[in-house]
Amino acid sequence: MTAPAIAASQSGGSNRQSQVILALQHALAAEQAASYGYGIVGAHLPQGSAEQTAAGNDWVVHLRLRDELSALIRARGGQPVPAAVAYELPVRVQSPAQATALAVLLEDRAAEVYLSMVALPEDGLRSFAAQQLRAAALRAEAWSGSTHAFPGLPGTSLRSG
Amino acid sequence: MPDRAAAGRAPATGLTRRALLAVAGTAAPLLLASCKGIQVLGSPPAPPADVLLLRAAISAEEVMVARYAAALTDLGTSTAPRPTGSDTATLAAVRAVHVQHAEHLAQLKSRLIEPPGSSSSPSPAPSVQVTGSPTEVLSVLEQAEQAASDRLLSQLGELPGSLAQLFASIAAAEATHVPFLRAAGQVR
Repeated sequence: MTAPAIAASQSGGSNRQSQVILALQHALAAEQAASYGYGIVGAHLPQGSAEQTAAGNDWVVHLRLRDELSALIRARGGQPVPAAVAYELPVRVQSPAQATALAVLLEDRAAEVYLSMVALPEDGLRSFAAQQLRAAALRAEAWSGSTHAFPGLPGTSLRSG
Repeated sequence: MPDRAAAGRAPATGLTRRALLAVAGTAAPLLLASCKGIQVLGSPPAPPADVLLLRAAISAEEVMVARYAAALTDLGTSTAPRPTGSDTATLAAVRAVHVQHAEHLAQLKSRLIEPPGSSSSPSPAPSVQVTGSPTEVLSVLEQAEQAASDRLLSQLGELPGSLAQLFASIAAAEATHVPFLRAAGQVR
């Protein structure tokens, strides 16, 4: 009686661990894309401008988060998925305005993956994800000058509630 | 050879006595219940922590909505004769954030299912005073936003996943209101 119960428990724990690693991999992919994307953003902002400096600062934030997420995955026995060589941009970037729009999209995407991580039943990761969700929302606000009622949630997901 | 059966009987007697005591503790209310109805079983159990936190979040959001309504009234009065560009921007920003708080409140309320016959009734709208210059009003709102965001984030560990996501998303929104309001106050 005892052995099957322990085996089931271990299996449940293993599944949960896999779920956690998968969520971390999604966040890592978003951070890798953001790290790439901010290079494009910075290149299309006026040289030496405050906006370009801000893009550089945000780029560093995403590089650090990328490394932190990789470490979290390794600590759980996973192997971080490497970044792609290049990414297809969600918007065409040829002007400062388009670069700013890309920065907002990158932060919105980061907010989405961190919000999904908040559902994980692990207090430390939930807190980390919630803090990063808030930080991404603040960066998005800084780039766009506007706020969303529910950062990280697709625009229509809460309308029917 | 030790008598294992005998060795087991002594604790068994003790267990039986304890079990009887436990039953005795519940027997009286059950017997009374059969005579007087279910109310004598005692008061219902306290709501779980997540329900308490959700109710507290709803109350806090109601206060926030009332605070913005009061701020709009005050700003509308104080800037009415000759609103500057800054006044107009401030009013527009406060109106926009007011709408978002109303959305937060609606979502939080939609997550709370009160049982039929629950004693909780719709609470009257909280009375909140916000007065002062536009700069002072914005400062009050910014401080309230930051405090609300921090409070929601501190409660995530006690919530089920989907409710934690709603709290975290609202906390993020409230944090963004701080620079949003500040920027509106700096428009010339």
